[in-house]
Amino acid sequence: MSYEFIAITMFAGMMVLLLTGQRVFAVIGFVGVVAAFLLWGEGGSEMGFSSAMKLVKWYPMLTVPMFVFMGYMLSESGIAEDMYKAIHVWMGPINGGLALGTVGLMVIISAMNGLSVAGMAIGATIALPELLRRGYDKVMMTGVVQGGSTLGILLPPSVVLVLYGMIARVPVGQLWLAGLLPGLMMAALMAIYVYVRCRVNPALGPALPLSERNVPFREKVRLLSAGIVPLGIFVLMMWLFLSGIASLVESSAVGAICSALVAWWRGRLSARLWNDVLQKTLGITCMFMWILIASLCFGAVFDGLGAVKSIERFFLGNLGLEPWQVLVLMQLSFLIMGMFLDDTAMLVIVAPLYIPLVQKLGFDLVWYGVLYTITCQIAYITPPFGYNLFMMRAMAPPEIGMRDIYKSIWPFVGIMVASLIIIGVFPDIATWLPNNYYSK
Amino acid sequence: MPDVIKSYVRFVDTFNRRVGIFAMYLIFAMFAILLYSSLSKAFRLPANWTLESAQFTMAAYYMLGGAFAMQTGDHVRMDLFYGTWSARKRAIFDIVTSVALIVFLGFMLYGGISSTTYAIQFNEKSFTAWAPYMAPIKIVMTFGVFMMLAQSLSSLFKDIAELRGRPIA
Amino acid sequence: ATLAAPAVVKAQTAIKWRFQTYAGAALGEHVTKPIIDAINAAAQGELEIELYFADQIVPTGELFRALQAGTIDAVHSDDDSMASPADVATFGGYFPLATKQILDVPVLFKQYGLADIWKSSYEKVGGVVWLSSSGQDPCHFNTKKAITSLKDLEGLRLYTFPTAGRFLTQFGVVPVTIPYEDAQVAVQTGELDGMAWSGITEDYTVGWADVTDHFLTNNISGAWIGSFFVNEKKWAELPDHLKKLVMTAIEAGNNYRDQWYWGGEAKLRAEGTKLKLTSIPAAEWKAVEDAAKVFWKEIAEQGETAAKVVKIFEEYNAIINKAGPPYVNG
Ligand code: NA
Ligand code: NA
Repeated sequence: MSYEFIAITMFAGMMVLLLTGQRVFAVIGFVGVVAAFLLWGEGGSEMGFSSAMKLVKWYPMLTVPMFVFMGYMLSESGIAEDMYKAIHVWMGPINGGLALGTVGLMVIISAMNGLSVAGMAIGATIALPELLRRGYDKVMMTGVVQGGSTLGILLPPSVVLVLYGMIARVPVGQLWLAGLLPGLMMAALMAIYVYVRCRVNPALGPALPLSERNVPFREKVRLLSAGIVPLGIFVLMMWLFLSGIASLVESSAVGAICSALVAWWRGRLSARLWNDVLQKTLGITCMFMWILIASLCFGAVFDGLGAVKSIERFFLGNLGLEPWQVLVLMQLSFLIMGMFLDDTAMLVIVAPLYIPLVQKLGFDLVWYGVLYTITCQIAYITPPFGYNLFMMRAMAPPEIGMRDIYKSIWPFVGIMVASLIIIGVFPDIATWLPNNYYSK
Repeated sequence: MPDVIKSYVRFVDTFNRRVGIFAMYLIFAMFAILLYSSLSKAFRLPANWTLESAQFTMAAYYMLGGAFAMQTGDHVRMDLFYGTWSARKRAIFDIVTSVALIVFLGFMLYGGISSTTYAIQFNEKSFTAWAPYMAPIKIVMTFGVFMMLAQSLSSLFKDIAELRGRPIA
Repeated sequence: ATLAAPAVVKAQTAIKWRFQTYAGAALGEHVTKPIIDAINAAAQGELEIELYFADQIVPTGELFRALQAGTIDAVHSDDDSMASPADVATFGGYFPLATKQILDVPVLFKQYGLADIWKSSYEKVGGVVWLSSSGQDPCHFNTKKAITSLKDLEGLRLYTFPTAGRFLTQFGVVPVTIPYEDAQVAVQTGELDGMAWSGITEDYTVGWADVTDHFLTNNISGAWIGSFFVNEKKWAELPDHLKKLVMTAIEAGNNYRDQWYWGGEAKLRAEGTKLKLTSIPAAEWKAVEDAAKVFWKEIAEQGETAAKVVKIFEEYNAIINKAGPPYVNG
């Protein structure tokens, strides 16, 4: 049996098993341990636990519970609601103002968490019901929340970029800075999209009646200050980290602790809130880490088959392509895999195969990290497999149906693909900031 | 289902929920260690044990919490089809594919026991200057895997009961 | 079936090893890969070794365990980093100030009896066979801030070997051990202030010179003691002529490494542009040398084997001190 055949069998077996709906970590881990055992015999039987021991040493993963905790803490502490009210009184008069404000809200929440879950939770439970009540178009708004919340992995702090950094051996600081401008650019594109559509058809996002936004100026300013707190924590955390005063994991802990302090200061720190936040954090972290264990096991076996060399031979030898053509092909294959595969698994299994190739072709690994992350964002919202789709289904108000959810994402997929192309053609958008900050 | 199986399911679910809630609070230990670490760096000599002990706490966190996360349905599934099925059809598929779950965890348990036995037999220490013994964290991790295996069987029994039309509450 | 064609028989008997080195891909290209390539080419398919770099199959801290269990078949590492349970493990890697030059290591093993001690130490543990030890680069410091006196070591978080780390703690160093491949990034994320891990050749080869600015010419050991190990069962199964081939290739690799490091250290100190050289005055450095003597005494008390090894170090160092330069210019 050729190694290529084994590799394809493993991959195909994993895909078929995933379709049965068994837990993702179990499917990937099963294929990994069984392949290790069949290929390597008794010695291979400990690959599963060995992967768990490897993960223990991946210290940057400590940021996962920290950033997830921070995101949930802020979403539960009432800050998000105040920010949302601020959007009403400041943005209400414009057609589509609330929609634009929601994009802004997603940017601020993205600066407070490392995944997209908090953005989804806030968007689906706080923003959507209000928007629907005021006659905003449900398909457009569902899209704003789904697409906007994915900015959580592109704008720092980002857990996906931490994981990419682990695999590509690239500094997290550079990756985070590289994600900043592309993230803001993508947010701007989303805002432009929303603005243009509401301009053309005001019925999609009617301006609020005066009665709803007749608030004293002092109160308006007070509400605006709600947005300052998360930004303050973000700045503190990034400053501690980028200046080298605290390490990555230490500053993530400082951010998490600050978010709890804010909730306490606002008098929201009830036993129930603690329980909610802690349990959700545990759940997401366990999900994430167990997929990592399984993927590390699968990846080690895959790697052991010489898949890296096969892929290099295939792209560079057999196809004889130019570097940029290889890059486009890789991104396309990532996009297709991202539709079907969990993005964490995709990173741990596929990225180690592609990253050496990217390096060999002479591309910047920091820049590629941004391209990779945007691909993950697309994976989050595209059917059939997407975290944000799952969450939206679980949390959306009842009047939003499956059909609406699926229909809503396509303009945002378009914006993300456009961003991918823009940053691909103009790498400086990503690399200018880190190169300047870290120039030795 | 026989009473003994019902008791098993009740016992495992209750036990794993308690272990999970304990694990849930370990995040405070991580806060404390990392905060101490950053303060010690700012005000006196940085400590050499903080990073590693935070890693061990984190490992305990997700290994002990894994079974509880199974109960709360946090381990994500690809639900393209699964999401549209009836409870009965889901149970059928879960019964069949739980082979994958149990085999994976079985290998994990085998490796865990072997690695832990080694750690105890040779007084294995971590290869760091702090050099803590490895047995405690390996025991905790192996125990976490064992409880996940127990939880998988509990889920399997619940699925079988569902299939027979008499679900275990 | 017993009359299968010879070609088939040969294919069936091809022996496959999974071999993991402590080194990452960039360094492994020089320190391990030439040996594996030589064996694969010369064995003509009878023995095929697949080479994996640091942490690729198993994490470095689990190397010994994995080797014993057969998850991997052979290993290149120092005893210290692979968390070996053997009673010689403290001396593998960099035992503080025990060696002066790269050639000291083969001399100590082949002329002063360390080879026999290592061999029997691993026989006692079981499951793993020690094959050969060799010298590599000295253990210098490369850091973000310049070190010009002992005081500058205080509070530095340095990536280093466990034993070296324990020794350096008395000078205020905070030793940090993380996966090898993460060290460079850890300097940039603030987890580390630098490394006390290698000579300047390795600093340039693996990219550490890109993230640190200074290189201290004082070292805490003149050469690394690293070894090749193999799973006991796999070694027993290997035909004699292949055993011979493996040993010969390892010796050839040791030879290549000797010149690669020896030349690299000189050239990069003289012409390298990424790291500025600094020194701690000899009078001040004496405190470190004295501390090493105390450290040796403590280690010697750990057991019979440790006492024997320390005695050999003392004997050998007495001889080279008496012989004078070039033996003592570290
Ligand atoms: Na973020
Ligand atoms: Na998807």
